[in-house]
Amino acid sequence: MTDMDRILIIEDDPETAAAIRAEAEALGCQSDHRDTLPSGIEAAITGQYKVIVLDRMLPGGDGVDAMARIRAGGSTALILILSALGRAANRVEGLEKGADDYLPKPFEPEELRARLRALLRRGSIQVLDNDLLAFGDLEIRMKARTVHVKRTHVPTSPKEFELITYFARNAGQVVTRMQLLENVWNLHFDPGTNVVDVHVGRLRRKLEDAGATAIQTARGEGYIFAPLPA
Amino acid sequence: MTTARPIAAKATLRLAALMALAVTFLSLGAMALQYRLVETRLMAAQQRLLTADLNGLAALYDQRRIIALRQAIDYRATAATGDEMLLLMDRNGTVLAGTRADWPAALSPAGEGFSSDNAATFTEGQTRWLAVARALPGGFPLLVARSLQPVDDTLAALRRGILGLVGALLVAGALVGGLAARSVMARINRVNTLANRVAEGALDARLPGPRSDDEFGLLETHVHAMLDRIENLNRATHRLSDTIAHELRTPLNRMLQKLSRIEGQDDLTAELKAEMRQAIRMFDSLLDISRAEADQGSGGGLVPVDLSTTALEVWELYDPLAEDKGLQTEARITPGLHMLGDRNLIAQVLSNLLDNAIKYCAAGDRLTLSLSPEDDRILMRVADTGPGLPDALKPEAFDRFTRAERDRATPGHGLGLALVRAIAARHGARLSLPATEKGFTLEIRWPRLQQSD
Repeated sequence: MTDMDRILIIEDDPETAAAIRAEAEALGCQSDHRDTLPSGIEAAITGQYKVIVLDRMLPGGDGVDAMARIRAGGSTALILILSALGRAANRVEGLEKGADDYLPKPFEPEELRARLRALLRRGSIQVLDNDLLAFGDLEIRMKARTVHVKRTHVPTSPKEFELITYFARNAGQVVTRMQLLENVWNLHFDPGTNVVDVHVGRLRRKLEDAGATAIQTARGEGYIFAPLPA
Repeated sequence: MTTARPIAAKATLRLAALMALAVTFLSLGAMALQYRLVETRLMAAQQRLLTADLNGLAALYDQRRIIALRQAIDYRATAATGDEMLLLMDRNGTVLAGTRADWPAALSPAGEGFSSDNAATFTEGQTRWLAVARALPGGFPLLVARSLQPVDDTLAALRRGILGLVGALLVAGALVGGLAARSVMARINRVNTLANRVAEGALDARLPGPRSDDEFGLLETHVHAMLDRIENLNRATHRLSDTIAHELRTPLNRMLQKLSRIEGQDDLTAELKAEMRQAIRMFDSLLDISRAEADQGSGGGLVPVDLSTTALEVWELYDPLAEDKGLQTEARITPGLHMLGDRNLIAQVLSNLLDNAIKYCAAGDRLTLSLSPEDDRILMRVADTGPGLPDALKPEAFDRFTRAERDRATPGHGLGLALVRAIAARHGARLSLPATEKGFTLEIRWPRLQQSD
């Protein structure tokens, strides 16, 4: 997030656009706003944007259908669809058609901030394909699928390993429950109960028992993986 | 799903048979009339010949009585053609002249004179005769008869002709009927096939090719118009749910944004946010239900899904929650079971069921999930030993907004099972609530996708 990343907001509801703009600015980004699909596509192709926040039911068409044209126009921006079409089927459709993330309306500002931050990071940091992810005492070996704290092996279930890997990829950032459900469990609906909490709680206890206080709760937002350097 | 069955064109065949029979009967009637006419005419002709013979003999008798008759009959007998029978006897029964030597037993002389009235027919050997037997004054029996053989031959030929014609008519009727039935059936089958495809969910299916300018073409046009209307309604339903989503979520979104700006009342805002989330879930469920119902039967959007893996994933998501609540949990999942489906919808079904079970069960209750093959189905069974469903609620358990009175305090909106039913129906799965001694058991039989390997 150096030298002012640019975010394009294509959204017809002014109040929502203002909320997105506020989040973008809180993240230190410069943002532009378009309120129709054609003008949005034009801006997306001509401007150098890192992230595009795209609505679906816009004057001029559906944002999902515009993604191919934005990509064809040469834009390398990551696309976050922010739409009232928020059922699981809509989300899966959007992701399958090439969106990098999909957030249903109404959204909580914290959720949007977490998503934007994850996308901005993805745009600047190359994919982590190192075999070893080390955070002080905590080591994650990707190929062997093992977790060690202070050289001691911490047994994890396959899901717990995926969970800690997702945390590690977003180290230092708030990760929301919805993000975990989507990325770790690949489920795109709200199960109503905070099932994810139980899993995070178990992983956290395992790590704490081994001596690493890596996962913290971000009140009202989600979790943050911030292993303290030893 | 109905398999395409080549039904016999029963109605059409019946109609064709009726037509063929009617035509045959009419022709038969006409031919019978003609037959009677021919028979009458031929008999009349024979009668006239007989009358002529008798008149000739009468003339001779008028001149020289028996002598002349005897001479004439002798003369005729020598030149016998076989077509006539003549016999003259004396009062003692001695033959005076004739084509035969004895009086036929079937006949007795009646009356005098040479009138041809009351001519009788009798059969001798294979031949029928038209005969007049008289006793001439002085006791001379006289027999004059003409063979009916030519008449019978002609009538027999006519009968053979009629029989042949009736046979030909029946065969032709059957042939034409069969052909008509086949062509009608082909036309009707086109529409039937279309109806089947539509029933299986392909609302956009239409008959290819031009409409013919007849009643079948009209039927096809009507069916097409009907399908267009249904398709439009269906599309409108889809569009409406999108519009509802948009129009309701946008103001909700504004509320949520404003709520986030309130500071200092964290507990209250958190509660409000939870309420909003609950409302959105409820309204997503309603949209999901109506969408699943609208898509019911259509195979569109369904892809091969590893049901075993999906079930295991959702189970593993909820298992810790159940354990934390003190439930005894067990999952028996046969690996490698596949079906055509929408993974997220199936996960939603299981998520709803497990969430319900965990919500209503108390510590110590059992919760089991099993997945096993059963013929061409996959049986998914979720069973718990919790409070179960009140009996009064069972009939409408799968209706929207059905909630037991005792559960008013438990959070929920009564849409869970309605959504389960809609999603199951969308996948062509069968739902059942088997009777259990205790708790709640639900079985879903998903259609199984046979793997080629």
